[in-house]
Amino acid sequence: MSELALWIVRTGFLAVLWIFIFAIISVIRSDLFGQKVVNKVASAKAPKVVSAPSTPNTLTGAIGGLATAAAASTPTAADANVVATKLVITEGDRKGHTVRLDRREITIGRSEDSDLIIDDEYASTHHAKLVQVNNDWLIQDLNSTNGTFLGGSRVGTPAVVKPNTPVRIGKTTFELKA
Amino acid sequence: MSNLTSSINIAKIVRVVPRLRNIEALLLIFVLALNAFELAQIQLSTIEKVTTDLFLYWTPLAAFAGGIHMILRKYAREADSMILPIAVALNGLGLSEIYRLDLAQIASGGTELFAMKQVVWTCLALAAAAAVIIYVPTHLFLRRYVYIAMITGIALLLLPMLPFIGKTINGARLWIGLFGFTFQPGELAKIALTVFFAGYLVTRRESLAIVGRKVLGVQLPRARELGPILVIWAASLLVLVVQRDLGTSLLYFGLFIVMIYVATGRAIYVAVGLTMFITGALVASRIMDYVRGRFDSWLNPFDPAHYDAVGGSYQLVQGIFGMAHGGIFGTGLGGGVPQLVPLAESDFIIASLGEELGMAGLFAIFALYLLLVYRGVRIAFNHSDDFSKLLAVGLSFVIALQTFIVVGGVTRVVPLTGLTTPLLAAGGSSLIANWVILGLLLRISDSAGSKNRELLAETPTSVVNA
Repeated sequence: MSELALWIVRTGFLAVLWIFIFAIISVIRSDLFGQKVVNKVASAKAPKVVSAPSTPNTLTGAIGGLATAAAASTPTAADANVVATKLVITEGDRKGHTVRLDRREITIGRSEDSDLIIDDEYASTHHAKLVQVNNDWLIQDLNSTNGTFLGGSRVGTPAVVKPNTPVRIGKTTFELKA
Repeated sequence: MSNLTSSINIAKIVRVVPRLRNIEALLLIFVLALNAFELAQIQLSTIEKVTTDLFLYWTPLAAFAGGIHMILRKYAREADSMILPIAVALNGLGLSEIYRLDLAQIASGGTELFAMKQVVWTCLALAAAAAVIIYVPTHLFLRRYVYIAMITGIALLLLPMLPFIGKTINGARLWIGLFGFTFQPGELAKIALTVFFAGYLVTRRESLAIVGRKVLGVQLPRARELGPILVIWAASLLVLVVQRDLGTSLLYFGLFIVMIYVATGRAIYVAVGLTMFITGALVASRIMDYVRGRFDSWLNPFDPAHYDAVGGSYQLVQGIFGMAHGGIFGTGLGGGVPQLVPLAESDFIIASLGEELGMAGLFAIFALYLLLVYRGVRIAFNHSDDFSKLLAVGLSFVIALQTFIVVGGVTRVVPLTGLTTPLLAAGGSSLIANWVILGLLLRISDSAGSKNRELLAETPTSVVNA
């Protein structure tokens, strides 16, 4: 074989070897930061499940969950004593989405096993959690890097989240609604 | 009609299952093409034509790797998608380089060939990994056998010291010989000991993490918690003295220290452990000729006295010359003279590859190891129970530490030891042990996925209201 051909093969091999490494890195990258795609899939494929707040559908479904109907009819209820039943995202990439508070505990963070996945550089993997204690929802910050803000102040010890109080994590803000 | 619920999860099930295996298939095809490229390049530059011999070395790895992929599709669909392609890439690269050294042997009339043996061992190793994936239903069952694992590990370590079957090769008593085969049981011992360390530390981590007295601003662990470290330290020094192998001893002790650190999160254990090991090694280098020889070769390899000595720095220096010959982009596979280094196909495969692929290629190899270990640590991270976390970290670190000790030895970062480069070097015991480790990691990564699925099955995914 000619010198030139050998040189091309030699350089080509190194190039292909490195391409393989970058292929793996790109797969890892999409695993780590590809959450956005997932969210789009979620909202596109399951629009009925992740519903936007106060859509007319919820009202017309006459036998639909009472709490839901109530929430939809009084979207800005100032009554702080009612029990919150859902979490509404008011700002951020997933603005408008709701998560029903049908469990004792809702975990929030970037990790895929969170109940509320927040895809945001300012959110930690396991950022915070909401815990229900006697009809109150408490927010607990799980030692997140950038903190959790309840009504503008950083959450230290677990604090009670009253309905309609904005909670901010990174670029996402949500409120609890009755 | 309304079904408001926490529903972000649904997309996860839909997305995860087939995607991982498809990515793996694509990467695997890429890797196998790369392997064919290597073999063809070697044939072109050494015998100037491509012969059908190429398939003798390519097909078995391709077939078995494809087989493992299919097994993962059936038995562990959510296993990590990158471990198999990366490991096959390393294994294939090692195989190619060994074949290349064989061709050099044949050209100079030698008869000591390794590549075909390596092909056979590769098949056995991949079969072992497949068996682990199929027959280990979940790695958690290993937790039941923690103390059996300890006894097995120690027994395997001591096996070479038995009369008749124990064998001393190149000064180290690490082999057993049975029916003409030689095997290094210590390679399998590292898996058993990792299982034991993980199980042991899970039960002890609470007390190990308790803070003792504060001395000079450093929180010391309680004295009684140092007991186990002392035992492992003594055991690894025993390996050093009796089996005369610095690498194995460093590997076991390093593994234990890393796992203690991961279990407790306290850097003081690393500091204490390293100090103890370095002290032990320094004392050994004063007392034992063989350790002192290794130290001298490491510090002054170019000194003629060490270079010419029997068991001196000749091999190390030849390796360094080889890598210098390769430069940044290497001589190309088949273009160098790596056969000049003694044991170029096993202990010094890194120097051989460094000569032929250059620094650019060597860094690519290190990047592959890094990614492999990263995936292992990532698997640990995905698990919520301590045993799985520790086991996955431990198994990944066995590979990481061993690579560091070997590469560090060849490049004169640490004294040269007799360990094999994981997956690359010729040697059956090491290949089988490393593929079993990879099989376990794949198994662990799959149960992280399955666990999520079970959790999802418990939580209602939709609330149906008519």
